[in-house]
Amino acid sequence: MNQTVEHDEKVPGRTVGFTIMTLVILLAAFQMSRESSLQQMQGSDESEANTQPLEGFRPAAWYLPDDELLGFVEVPAGPFVMGSNPALDPMAYENERWSNLRRQGSVDLPAFYVSRFEVTRAQFAMFTEDSRFSTDDIDLAGAGDLPVTGITWPEALAYGRWLEQRLRASPQTPAEISAFLEGGAHVTLPNEAEWEKAARGTDGRVFTWGPRPRNDLANFNGDALAGVGAIACAVCSYGLSDMAGNVWELTRSPSQDYPYDPSDDETNLPEDALYVMRGGSYADVINNVRTGVRGAADPGVRNGTIGFRLVISTL
Amino acid sequence: MATKARRENSAAHGAQPNPSGPANTGFALGNFKLPLILITALLLLTFTSRVHEVVLWSFVSAVAVLAAWLVYLLVLSNRRAEIHDFSIVLRPQHYVQLLIQISLFSYWGYYWRPVYDHFYLIIAQLLFAYSFDILLAWSRRRAYTLGFGPFPIILSINLFLWFRDDWFYMQFLMIAVGFMGKEYVRWQREGRSVHIFNPSAFALGLFSAVLILTNTTSLTWGQEIASTLTLAPNIYTFLFLLGLIVMYLFEITLVAGMAAITLFACGALYNANFGVPYFLDSEIPAAVFLGLHLLITDPSTSPRTPLGKTLFGLLYGLGVFGLYTLLDNLGAPTFYDKLLCVPLLNLSVIAIDRAVRSIKSETLLNVWRADWLGGRANLAHMSVWIVVFAVMTMLGKTDGKHTGDSLPFWEQACSNELSNSCQRLVQLKTTYCNDNAAWACNELGIHFRQGLIVGRNDSQAQEYFGQSCELKFKAACANLLDDNLALKDNPHELDLRLLLREGGLNLISASSDELYERACDHDWQFACSTNRNTL
Repeated sequence: MNQTVEHDEKVPGRTVGFTIMTLVILLAAFQMSRESSLQQMQGSDESEANTQPLEGFRPAAWYLPDDELLGFVEVPAGPFVMGSNPALDPMAYENERWSNLRRQGSVDLPAFYVSRFEVTRAQFAMFTEDSRFSTDDIDLAGAGDLPVTGITWPEALAYGRWLEQRLRASPQTPAEISAFLEGGAHVTLPNEAEWEKAARGTDGRVFTWGPRPRNDLANFNGDALAGVGAIACAVCSYGLSDMAGNVWELTRSPSQDYPYDPSDDETNLPEDALYVMRGGSYADVINNVRTGVRGAADPGVRNGTIGFRLVISTL
Repeated sequence: MATKARRENSAAHGAQPNPSGPANTGFALGNFKLPLILITALLLLTFTSRVHEVVLWSFVSAVAVLAAWLVYLLVLSNRRAEIHDFSIVLRPQHYVQLLIQISLFSYWGYYWRPVYDHFYLIIAQLLFAYSFDILLAWSRRRAYTLGFGPFPIILSINLFLWFRDDWFYMQFLMIAVGFMGKEYVRWQREGRSVHIFNPSAFALGLFSAVLILTNTTSLTWGQEIASTLTLAPNIYTFLFLLGLIVMYLFEITLVAGMAAITLFACGALYNANFGVPYFLDSEIPAAVFLGLHLLITDPSTSPRTPLGKTLFGLLYGLGVFGLYTLLDNLGAPTFYDKLLCVPLLNLSVIAIDRAVRSIKSETLLNVWRADWLGGRANLAHMSVWIVVFAVMTMLGKTDGKHTGDSLPFWEQACSNELSNSCQRLVQLKTTYCNDNAAWACNELGIHFRQGLIVGRNDSQAQEYFGQSCELKFKAACANLLDDNLALKDNPHELDLRLLLREGGLNLISASSDELYERACDHDWQFACSTNRNTL
């Protein structure tokens, strides 16, 4: 039997449904356009500088050291002795030998500036905030004066380029540094010779503080990073800190046999790239924190014992 | 007998006043148990490992909306003493399509694992779709026809577009729009009220338009979906064979076949005229080939007459062909080409049928009705399609290597300034660079540094050199150090494993010899050298 009976209520109209459907589409469109705006804002947002005070550093100057030259130290022009002589340095490795015929060589460098400290987390964070750099893989947590680690070689170079742009544009930049930049210098990683001269000085030191091992002037043979400059070393070459230990420091020189040749960078292209790093880290033993030690890193590698410092160089 | 009578009754009237009168027996759940079970199942899915916290709130929101709707309807029907009914109708066009789509998902997912990872999310969409469709039907006070209907809609949508986990609620909204479009956007066709748009194509088309307008394609997996179908070997043949089943059972040969033939023909004409393939790395992109089998073959939203079906397929082919260039010129992802034109074509169906019926020539009208194979015209059409596909396959226009797979071909075409070739070259290199082919990143860095075929952009160049250098490509590291350099090198072995994949899987297990042989076949001259050890 058919049980249907007439009833008064109307079937809900199509207009209502159509309106709801339109609203749903508009809601989706609104949400998506909101997301699009957010993405654009993130893209153009130059984040507010992190202005937390950090003793010994200037937050307003990209957390560079609070001294006359923003932490840069001049290394005068002139020659220095590069490579290791096993007669003076019994811990020398074979790859520190200059050539089959000579143990060491002389390299003449123009004047350059080198940063007193390794680049810190606070400094690198200014760069990442300013340039939308992804920081997922970079160690930026912890105290701002710890050396930045977990950076790749191109990221270290990118930081140098960014800092150069800031230094060139800022009235805070010391006149001496500005003039040097105006003269064609660039902020970048040191090449191997620049690094070794800065560490060894012109008196051929085996360690950056002198000829003999010491435990009190560098962070090595340990288990943790130290804040940059935490271990004072007035006797170290050019007064630089942490040229021995704390973190291995990347250079812009490809890993190749001595004698050192800065123009040899474009050969053997099919080989995998590998770049020299210097100075040893907190985890290394004494023979790896000598001025002549040559390590090498894949340019894409991220490691908690690898960081860098910068030079302002005309090369 | 009683059940049958009730089904017929409910099909005709849907909501019926309860003969026992208003609810003096308390609150009756009745048939509401069905959507309640579905919504509960959707809620239970939140306990699976796939529904992590990012996607969880999309599920909770969907459940909340459905539950609220259910309660509202339940209260209303109890107050009105109505019974909301459903009938079970299993239609072959739904379950056959379901089986075909499952086969495709299984095959594709075997070679691209995110498909299998998406399994629970598809189940969730199905549960949502059934619940939504039931509640929508009952809100409209008609009986619900329970069958496999929502399966092809949901699976079709998921063959073309998924929102990422953070945005998964959009997937539910898209489904809701599809079903509402089916319910509310209707017209009179041949005396019957029918939906205008194919539900999945309607939702896909609308959301595609919004994604393009808001430049938010990155919220979806659309690009990945479109480019990963070819990871499954012989995907064109696989789709062709699946398509034959549908063609045989539902007589869609004229639509799908004509769309494919149009695209092949347009591509061939373009190639003959401009010297380069129209589509980047295939004669018909695999996702388009899929689309012409699934998106435009719904009988209720396509023309009825044979000539109308032929025109419909032709227009789809032309539409995809035109939209590809249009989207490319607008800077929008080109994979939307197959989605955007379907709703427009659905709108033109009545006009097409009317135009066909206005033709006075019986010869023309019956051109596809010739008495082939003893009057079994569809078999004749299928035979033609099989021959066309076989010829295309023999000419290397379906599975396997295409002209556009060869980067040296595009390099040459670009230096000869052939149509769009430099743009395509940059597109291809960008794709390979995103796949971590160091060579491609270095090449892009050089293009952006030199500014010859793309606008000069130093910071972009540095980013590409940096990416390449991190992948140990020495030339890129040198380029990174010196702003005046544009040092190139041949692709390294790891690069070749990506560059030579011809749309398929990366050639991880290929030996060096096989790689260099293939590279030589792709016109990489350095790889043709007999003394490979010196490379």
